[in-house]
Amino acid sequence: MKRVLSITLSVLVLCFSFSTTALAAAENAVNNSVEDSKGTFSLDYIPQRIVVLELSFVDALAAVGVSPVGIADDKDPDRILKEIRDEIGAWTSVGTRSQPSLETISALKPDLIIADISRHEGVYADLQKIAPTLILPSRRATYEENLQATAIIGKAIGKDQEMQARLKKHAQVMSDFAQQLPTGKEVQFGVARDDALFLHTADSYAGGVIRALGLKNANTGRSDDAYRQTSLEQFLAVNPDYFIVGNYVTPSIIDKWKKEPLWSVLKAAKNHHIYSVNPNTWSRCRGIISAETMGQDLIRVFSANQ
Amino acid sequence: METRSLPILLLTLVALLIANLMFGAVSLPFKQVIEGFQVGNANYFTVHEYRFPRTILAMLVGAMMALAGALVQGVIRNPLASPDVLGVSHGAGLAAVFYMTFFPNADIDWLPTVALCGSLIAALMLWWLCGQHSSTIKLAITGVALAALYASCIDFLMLVKPLEINNALLWLTGSLWGRGWNQLAMLLPWLLLIPCALWLAKPLNLIHLGDDSAISLGVKASTLRLLSLAIAVGLTASCVAICGPIGFLGLVAPHLTRKLVGGRHQLLLPSTMLVGAILLLLADLVARTIDPPIELPAGIMTAIIGAPYFLWLLFRTK
Amino acid sequence: MIFTRLPFIGQCVILLLFLLVCGWISLFSWSVITVTPLDALHALYNMNEDSIAQHIVHDLRFPRVLIGIMVGANLAAAGVIMQGLTQNPLASPSVLGINAGAALGMATVSSLAPWFGLLGTSVAAMIGGGVAWAFVMLLGSAWRSGNEHGRLVLAGVAISALCAALTKAVIIIAEDQAAGVLTWLAGSLTDARWQTFDALWPVCLIGLVGAMLISPTLNLLQLGDDNAKNLGVSLMWVKLGGSFLVLLLVGSAISSVGAIGFVGLLVPHMARMLTGQDHRKFLPIAMILGACLVVLSDTVSRAIIYPAETPAGAILALIGAPFFIYLVRKRTL
Repeated sequence: MKRVLSITLSVLVLCFSFSTTALAAAENAVNNSVEDSKGTFSLDYIPQRIVVLELSFVDALAAVGVSPVGIADDKDPDRILKEIRDEIGAWTSVGTRSQPSLETISALKPDLIIADISRHEGVYADLQKIAPTLILPSRRATYEENLQATAIIGKAIGKDQEMQARLKKHAQVMSDFAQQLPTGKEVQFGVARDDALFLHTADSYAGGVIRALGLKNANTGRSDDAYRQTSLEQFLAVNPDYFIVGNYVTPSIIDKWKKEPLWSVLKAAKNHHIYSVNPNTWSRCRGIISAETMGQDLIRVFSANQ
Repeated sequence: METRSLPILLLTLVALLIANLMFGAVSLPFKQVIEGFQVGNANYFTVHEYRFPRTILAMLVGAMMALAGALVQGVIRNPLASPDVLGVSHGAGLAAVFYMTFFPNADIDWLPTVALCGSLIAALMLWWLCGQHSSTIKLAITGVALAALYASCIDFLMLVKPLEINNALLWLTGSLWGRGWNQLAMLLPWLLLIPCALWLAKPLNLIHLGDDSAISLGVKASTLRLLSLAIAVGLTASCVAICGPIGFLGLVAPHLTRKLVGGRHQLLLPSTMLVGAILLLLADLVARTIDPPIELPAGIMTAIIGAPYFLWLLFRTK
Repeated sequence: MIFTRLPFIGQCVILLLFLLVCGWISLFSWSVITVTPLDALHALYNMNEDSIAQHIVHDLRFPRVLIGIMVGANLAAAGVIMQGLTQNPLASPSVLGINAGAALGMATVSSLAPWFGLLGTSVAAMIGGGVAWAFVMLLGSAWRSGNEHGRLVLAGVAISALCAALTKAVIIIAEDQAAGVLTWLAGSLTDARWQTFDALWPVCLIGLVGAMLISPTLNLLQLGDDNAKNLGVSLMWVKLGGSFLVLLLVGSAISSVGAIGFVGLLVPHMARMLTGQDHRKFLPIAMILGACLVVLSDTVSRAIIYPAETPAGAILALIGAPFFIYLVRKRTL
């Protein structure tokens, strides 16, 4: 009897272990082949140590609960949203986004690097020598391109299903926000520095998010670039109904303009529809989590109004 | 007795070469550096693929830029002249910025070639404007005026198409970041210019006595001038194409060297190469280690190190 | 040319009329919000408080034109004084490093210590420009008589290159400021307002009157340092006073609109072509011409990538740099 029991047990154990290894093998064999900006990219393993060189990729990883080991955060952790920081825990800074330190990246022994085509094309070959490199658009990317890039990252790190679910949830959240927001209101976002105001046009990431939320972009005239330096006179011509401003410094140029008589001519100033938000969320981070935060910001803006 | 400083310079160079391999965002002990040269070692990328080519590149670029500076100063016979006055680096800068703004999606690997073409066209422009018979000082001032023209075009492009400002600025400051074996290979053919330049050392000494006496000694002044400037253009153009315009090296290094070994070109030209290599290695080392993992462009460091020294030197020699 | 044969007063009147027309055109042209030529006049004499167009003319365009005029006059006068003092046809704020030095001072303060605000940056611009110029004069041995023209220019270039490298360093280290500082470096009238005007006009007035007062002495300097000394000119005082005036003129211009270049190089030569060598005549002509040039290029700067703006200084540099080349080729150095 004992023998029978032990045999059944061992058979069971064997079966179990087989099934787990089989499962693991199946997971390993998942072909995460995706199309990135340089052609086909594929990994035959699930990356564990990921280094990202743009902030939008951090957002994408955090959306499916993956923590990168290294981030090009310009040595300023505050550039990453607090929600995301809490999600991903500690990381190592690998320098600036424009010139990340390749030595530091190499020292982190990554098994996947996610780089930005606009900033890092010049060192793509070097990055490839360190680890397989997924290169995607981030800077100058629109909202739609960003969603595509996020989906690609999800597939490449073997979390396709989670990412698709998260993206579906994101679309749901955004359309929920859109329902709470009035449709067709004209909203313009801009970042203000000490001596210049840059409007984010309809082609920019923020412009795309505003559209996705059922709001309207203000007409900024020429639309061939995502960010437009704007003088007070041109801003008067744009004259948006709602103006959302991210101040990189305080006092910014907006504070100077507020003292001028012409400022009161603006529709947004007349109706007190000027709101300041965190410029990191609205301009630098560019990802689904920051898009959702932007949605919350806008809901706050419009509910404060009613 | 003037040669006394040569061994010291050589030792410094070797020490800096080793330091450049050891220090950076991650410091490696010497033993690990040696092991890093073997394929498959944990530090193979850092040492063999990254620091080693970069260090060699810094050494060569430093040497070549300094040599170009010494040639230009030798020919124009003015201590304030530098390869910058030929407008070559600004021409390269204009070509590079033009390429970056109008073909933002084009392959970035072509950038050095584009910059090289720009600098060579700039040299031809200067040649076309000045002709063979203008005085050297007029040549220098024309170069300056051309450089001003290119600089204003660069500003204009960057302001009209502001998207690429940071990329362009990084390139325009001169940096060794991300430069590796490929760039080193591109530089190699230009090394041929170094022996040519050294061969000019003796005639350059004669021209220093004044054009007239040089002619009576059998050196044709205008030919020599043209040859030296052409070599200086080639040296500068190749370096600028790869690393961007690294400021001040061509101005400061020959000065410093003249202080150390005197003005005889047979000695001055080789030693100025050593000094240039030392300066750029030092600048790059500081730029990488001052606030890791942030990398500053080496061009900034050469300006910060070189500029105060240069001013001090000029006041001392007056 | 008929113009050169006109009496001095006639030339002045014609140029002033031209300036008036330029200014008027600049008040209404290339605006994103339609401004009619009539609006421009109404805004000055009989303003309708409800019209946005007239508000724009009154609050933005009008101070902009006035500041353009003052800056142009300042820079042109500074160029005339510098060329007179150094007896060097290439002397001008941009060639001799004052612009670059001022830019360095301004970039340093606004990027590393932004809390100093506007006052801090303009003081920094003046100090930077002054120090740079002092260096250039010492290095180029401009104080000695019989110096070569080339040496001074080379000294200016070396110092400019130094300042430019350091400025770039500061900009790259403080990445956020890049675009704004770059616009400022090129020189732009976009942010010229009544406050700027209020700060600028007293300094401008002192500087320009001072320039007029010094112009007879500049005539004497043309005879050569020794002859001037024999005629009772105290060289040291003239050169110190002249330098101070230059700093005042250039510093105030740069701190209000940024480092606009090449006006100081270009305009004195144009004025000399019109009126000849007498400083008492060509200094006023140069001031009016400078004003016209800056106002015109400001107007053009709005047209080039309409509706966005290009800094006026970038346009001026594009015109000025070829002229620089022409000057070098024409003059025997």
